Amino acid sequence: MKSFKTLGLAAALMISGASLATAQTALEGGQEVDMVLLPKFLGILVFDQANEGAQEAHAELENPGDLLFVGPTPENSVAGQIEIMTTSATQGQGAVMLSNNAGDQIAPAAQAAQEAGTRVVTWDSPIPGGEGEDVFVAQVDFGSIGVVMADMAHSILGGEGQMAVLSATPDAANQNAWIASMQEVLAADEKYAGIELVDIVYGDDQAEVSYNRALSLVDQYPDLGVIMSPTTVGIQAASKAMQDEGLCDQVKVSGLGLPSEMVSYTMNGCAPEFALWDFRDLGYLTYYTAYGLATGQLVGEIGESFTAGRMGDYTIEEDPGRPGAKRILMGPFTVYTAENVEAAAQ
Amino acid sequence: MTLLARLKSWEGFLLAALVAIIIANATLSPQFLTLSNQINLFQLSIEKIIVALIMTFIIINAEIDLSVGSMMGLAACAFGFLFASGVPAGLACLLVLLIGALGGALNGLFIAWVGLPSLVVTLATLIGFRGLARVLVEDRGITGFPDWFDALGQRGLVGDIPLALILFAGLFVLFHIVLAHSGFGRKTYLIGNNREVAAFAGIDTARHKLILFTLSGLVAALAGLLFAARVGAVRGDVANGFELDIITMVLLGGVSIFGGRGSLVGTLLAVLIVLNLRNGMALLNITGHIQTGVIGILLIASVIAPRIDPGALLRRRAGRAEEGPTG
Repeated sequence: MKSFKTLGLAAALMISGASLATAQTALEGGQEVDMVLLPKFLGILVFDQANEGAQEAHAELENPGDLLFVGPTPENSVAGQIEIMTTSATQGQGAVMLSNNAGDQIAPAAQAAQEAGTRVVTWDSPIPGGEGEDVFVAQVDFGSIGVVMADMAHSILGGEGQMAVLSATPDAANQNAWIASMQEVLAADEKYAGIELVDIVYGDDQAEVSYNRALSLVDQYPDLGVIMSPTTVGIQAASKAMQDEGLCDQVKVSGLGLPSEMVSYTMNGCAPEFALWDFRDLGYLTYYTAYGLATGQLVGEIGESFTAGRMGDYTIEEDPGRPGAKRILMGPFTVYTAENVEAAAQ
Repeated sequence: MTLLARLKSWEGFLLAALVAIIIANATLSPQFLTLSNQINLFQLSIEKIIVALIMTFIIINAEIDLSVGSMMGLAACAFGFLFASGVPAGLACLLVLLIGALGGALNGLFIAWVGLPSLVVTLATLIGFRGLARVLVEDRGITGFPDWFDALGQRGLVGDIPLALILFAGLFVLFHIVLAHSGFGRKTYLIGNNREVAAFAGIDTARHKLILFTLSGLVAALAGLLFAARVGAVRGDVANGFELDIITMVLLGGVSIFGGRGSLVGTLLAVLIVLNLRNGMALLNITGHIQTGVIGILLIASVIAPRIDPGALLRRRAGRAEEGPTG
């Protein structure tokens, strides 16, 4: 029944000419394949949301196999991710869906998993060198995040002032790529000439560390106007720090945050603007991709297109940020302000 | 020691626990007994368990080396730094081993001759070595090592058995012979039991401690290189916090934190227990906090159990008197 519906949808799309370039694969549900969703570590809301999305797709595709959501502890993230990747290959899992926190250190374990027949799909954060990875499901175009962050800083600072970045861990491939892209945007466009990026610090994606880093930034740079935090943990901790110390008139917080966690700070003016994509959708799309690869319905070649349930059509393409690697671009993302944050936080 | 006495000892208890864990694992997970899983079981923690061998000597000697995790990180980062600066990988390996020996000797000098407690000295170098590692690689990851280097860490050297596992087995046999059947081993126990008495007996205790800490640095550096080869990339946080896992395995093995007691057989049994327990839980998809919690509870039990068993207490009193290298 389900597959008839998806087939019908694909046929309709082909007739409408939406996918003239390549053959459109309509993924057939019901095949049994065990899969693992492996976040950077457990206990972070966005990863739980990604799991909800993956579970939704799991139910929709009527996969009789298991979808496991397992991850390491924050202190043991790198070794823990390598261990789970290795164990998944031993267990004969069909696919591992990885939000990578181990840099290139996970590449040998991921390659060994591939050799054992396990497909490796990364999401949220890829393997920097692209080795050991079938395809990366990118939440948004990494280059466009730089533009959005630069624009938010521009709007908060009124075109002129000092900005500091509060990131996650120093080796988080996604955050580093976004910061680099923002630096390029700032340097390239005359519009941002008045914005000075004074420092980049790391809160390790831990609330307490990020909170203290935010406060020490204020001490260190008395003229600081905005803290830009491209991580949901950092932006919330920095907003709380500014609110607790009564600094919100002086220093604003922006970056990538969750509406449900940020709503109070946006309404009281501590974090007037921030952006994000939907992690449920990211988990959902990642599951469809991994399912297609693990069941052999997708090969993983550039140019291959498929229909990901309610989210529509996607194509595997070359990753512009990582030569030789492949990605599927989800996009776009939403900028939240006092006008729309309350509705999104529900 | 009779067979019965051996079974009643701490090592006998560990052996029984290990057998129970292996039977449970084999029953619950069909993949457990496969050769590739058995190799992975060691490979995932191989660097820690290699360092646990030399740590056994250090703790029996009534000292502690908290700096081993940082030395592993420093060794991996120094290798990455040298390689990225154009030094051939083979030469870089030798230089890194030299750095390890020198770093260990630095610990040894302050402990043996200046007379500072090893807890303090190695706590300082724990921070110092880690700081140096982070300075060397800054906030980047270094990768792209030569194929032969990566292959040594990731592929089988003899059949499917990788270099690190062969090194672990070789070092275990060598260290066991030295500790249990040589004058050096006997001195390690004597000094650990009572340094003053050992000095009166004419043992150069300072020289002995210097040798042990130099070896500890050297072995930790070797382990750091093996880690770099296994994961094919290094960054500043390599092996962060490994020292605690290493020390807990040695203590679980029955080595007394006050020195003078313990054996490498005990350490090996503890290593096998922790590794099999971790692997068994991972195969059952028990990861993260629960896995950490279960191993934590096991370690608490292992420290408390021998203390509340009066029989064990008596045996230990008796053992003190006749304590020999056979432990």
